[in-house]
Amino acid sequence: MRFKGHALAGALALTVFGALPALAVTDVKIWHMEQPPHRVQRVQELIDAFNAANPDIKVSQEPQSWGEVYAKVPAAMAAGNAPDILFAIPDFTTVIRKAGQLDSVADFVKELDAQHHFIPATVEPYSYDGGVWAVPLYNMSLNFWYHKKMFADAGIAVPTTWSEWKAAAEKLSKDGVVGVGLPANKQLYTDQTTYAVMVNNGASELFNADGTLRFDNPKTVESYAFYKDLYKFSSPDAANWTWGEAEACFASETCASILQFSVISTYDQQGGGDAADLGVAAVPHADGEKNSSTIAYSNAAIILAKDAAKRDAAKKFIAFLLEPENYGKFLNMEPGLFLPVTTDGAKSETFWSDPLVVKYKPQVEQMIANSHAGMLFGFTGGHVFPAIGPISAQNILAETLQKVVISGEDPAAAVKAGQAQMIEATK
Amino acid sequence: MASKPISSGRGGDGRIAFLLLVVPLGLLAATLIVPMVSAITISLRDIRVIGSDGPFAGLDNYARVLGDGTFWHALGISVVWVVGNAVVQTILALTAALVLNEKFPGVRVARVWIILTWIIPTVVVVIIWRWLLSPSGGMVNPLLIQLGIIDRPMGFFASGPAAMTSLILINSWRWFPFVAIMLLAGLQRIPNDIYEAAAVDGAGAIARFRAITWPLLQPTLLVLTVMGTLLSFNVFDIIWLLTAGGPAGGTETLPVLIYETAFKAYRMGDAAAMSVVASVLMIGLALVLLDRLAPKETAR
Amino acid sequence: MKRGPLGWLVLALAVLALAFLVLAPMWLVGTSSFKLPREIINRVPTWFPRSFTLQHYQKLLQTSAFPTYFLNSVLVAASSAFVTVVLALMAGYAFFRLEFRGRDLLYRLIMVAYAFPSIVILIPIYLMFAKVGLIDTDLALVLVNVTFALPFSIWMMRTFFASLPRELEEAAAIDGAGRWKTVVHVLIPLLRPGIAAIAIFAFVASWTEYLFASVLIISDAKRTLPVGLSGIIGQYQIDWGLLLAGASLSVLPVVVFFAFVGRWFVAGLTEGAVK
Repeated sequence: MRFKGHALAGALALTVFGALPALAVTDVKIWHMEQPPHRVQRVQELIDAFNAANPDIKVSQEPQSWGEVYAKVPAAMAAGNAPDILFAIPDFTTVIRKAGQLDSVADFVKELDAQHHFIPATVEPYSYDGGVWAVPLYNMSLNFWYHKKMFADAGIAVPTTWSEWKAAAEKLSKDGVVGVGLPANKQLYTDQTTYAVMVNNGASELFNADGTLRFDNPKTVESYAFYKDLYKFSSPDAANWTWGEAEACFASETCASILQFSVISTYDQQGGGDAADLGVAAVPHADGEKNSSTIAYSNAAIILAKDAAKRDAAKKFIAFLLEPENYGKFLNMEPGLFLPVTTDGAKSETFWSDPLVVKYKPQVEQMIANSHAGMLFGFTGGHVFPAIGPISAQNILAETLQKVVISGEDPAAAVKAGQAQMIEATK
Repeated sequence: MASKPISSGRGGDGRIAFLLLVVPLGLLAATLIVPMVSAITISLRDIRVIGSDGPFAGLDNYARVLGDGTFWHALGISVVWVVGNAVVQTILALTAALVLNEKFPGVRVARVWIILTWIIPTVVVVIIWRWLLSPSGGMVNPLLIQLGIIDRPMGFFASGPAAMTSLILINSWRWFPFVAIMLLAGLQRIPNDIYEAAAVDGAGAIARFRAITWPLLQPTLLVLTVMGTLLSFNVFDIIWLLTAGGPAGGTETLPVLIYETAFKAYRMGDAAAMSVVASVLMIGLALVLLDRLAPKETAR
Repeated sequence: MKRGPLGWLVLALAVLALAFLVLAPMWLVGTSSFKLPREIINRVPTWFPRSFTLQHYQKLLQTSAFPTYFLNSVLVAASSAFVTVVLALMAGYAFFRLEFRGRDLLYRLIMVAYAFPSIVILIPIYLMFAKVGLIDTDLALVLVNVTFALPFSIWMMRTFFASLPRELEEAAAIDGAGRWKTVVHVLIPLLRPGIAAIAIFAFVASWTEYLFASVLIISDAKRTLPVGLSGIIGQYQIDWGLLLAGASLSVLPVVVFFAFVGRWFVAGLTEGAVK
């Protein structure tokens, strides 16, 4: 009797304890800044699919706001409750790297590259100091959006050079219409439009090869002077603009044209959604330049987790996202805004079959074409200078622009002061 | 009247006082003084990103911060902000309080609902005014054009002074009902007979206001001014959400500068130094103002 | 006091101006939340809606966690109000009735609490709370909200106590009541309007708090309304319809709440604490 009892107890114990490892679940927390509800929903769908296929891993998401996250992430890292995966952009990554010790994911990226073939320009912003610090996930680049009918009615062809651009803006600015909606806010959007103009005048390099600043050069000054010229035709409240205001202006046809990553969502929902009238082109280049260029942001995933099991789980999820069938769905959390960073992603069925992408196919194709000529300040010419972090965080490009268009300072003086600020910020 | 209590002796007071005050004051000490001490410690070190550590820097941060024009500029903007708010809010609140002190049909309802703009969250205030002031869909520009006040849509945040004016007006719109109710309380404490007597003596409405209302409102006004000044100075969210200190630093008050220094320039040490200086200034100001208030309270 | 026709005119104009100032924005926001997107962003806005749609509210309630944010805010605000009242009663009484060393100095120092910029204490508080595991909890927010509302509430409570007639306490003492009984059964009931006023003040202050809520709360499930709303708005696009629906829905409950307790707030402050 007693023997049997012991055996039974023992067997029971063995089954329970033997089963335990199989029940151990690895938690992976993701923080990202894609807060609009439909984006959160789409990410959740992908997370649910992954969790179902991987019962030993539980991924969860916590959407954050760009406005808070610069404070929140370092604070969380200091307090020991940082997320396991963090979606970030190149300059934010340099800050995170300074705040906590990041482990290089070079091997992981190489693996993924062999499978999916990353567009090299998307990995470059994250490769420096002998390592790769994040895995590229989605791309965005600035384009020139315009209302075809408004341009046709005024007899203007799509501008490709600066002089054409200025003439077009001037001709269109009447009866309450804004020829070109350009922002002048001390904010990231203005950094982006300013750089998009600079880049089209050959002023793409902020740093010399040795890491010293070369922001203060004649090409930059010309760019700021041109922006000032164009700004005359912008909206009266543009000093307060972020991406949303520009899109609202465009959707309401108050703005004949704007610089934006994508207007497809708002245009479709609030602007009448006439695909035939929506024009997109490359940002016009200076008369002396040959080709157009633009600013491009490769968004990536940083793996902050230190625990080996969590890191593996995180890698698994990222790899899952980059699978073409999932990748298309991921990119289309905001159809037309997020572009593929991999060549097989660019051919993904699920990407091209989304209803909005189908409706605006010509525009999306043009956007992908434009993005190939994309650059990002501080991450150009094959060099990456982490000193760009504080420059970007403090919106020095935008602040310099405000000095020129709002305070009326001379562009040369403003640019000089801007360079001094940058040097100060990177000390 | 704070005179001796009836039912217990002097000795027991200290203990009871302690029991009653330990939680409320303990909470205030823990959430205010401890972090402040922490801020002082940080201000003496060269700390960049929060959470990281840095070498001892003595008073270097203070020297740099006080020697930099940006700090003084922000202080100046803060003064403009505080004074602007005080003036606009006092005018609006006093007008509202005087109106609500009268008797007319619907006054009871008005006294309750004047508070409407104060009970909505800052975020909603921001949404409302960003929309109302925007050229694409906002009502203010078309309204002003219709009334003939302007002939073209204007950018309410297009320049430093314009943005500051707009912010002051919006913040006052938000806060004046609260001040109005407090002033109304003060007004209602003035007995009617004084007014009657003055009217009998032939004093007109304006004279009555100057001789009776204004002087008797002083205590209430003083407390509101102290609290209002301190709160105004420290306002952060509405400025940050509407202009982020722009354009061109035109609305960069001290709290905004501190936030940017800490979380955008990643110079925690400098931000802490600025905060300490700001706190010292504010505490000094508060003590001076309260000194003028205190004698009236205990002399009863 | 008699008021001549000029007096009536001035008064009427002032009342109309105030009413317009307060109500017009609310009207515009509320009605526009039911307009079609095209009408909302129209260059020529309309006072009376020409279209009608519920799409913005649908999007708000179905695709976002708005109800969760709302409930969190209610919970945190109510708790903050309750704790503030209790602590203010305790401290207000102590400062008013009791004699102890440093009482006047301490009383003055309380208002100085408002001199500390919230930015300064934001990160140390975050780190402090992190050490005791209070991050992402309602308790953390309650502690911060009470801290903000307490100084003013203590000041007000003391003023209310001071406006009570001495005879009440003397009468209670003659009847043999101890201090505790006097306070609880005689004084506090008379302070009801004042207590209501403080509770409402603390509730509203907590309801609208943004800065600390945005940093101390991490998970969506615990977010409060202001932070959640600004997240729904998103920073890349402006869906005015969604925003205005969110704004309207955020204001409506407080308005309803105030419809019931509003007169206590005004009564408590204006008619003094004695009823």
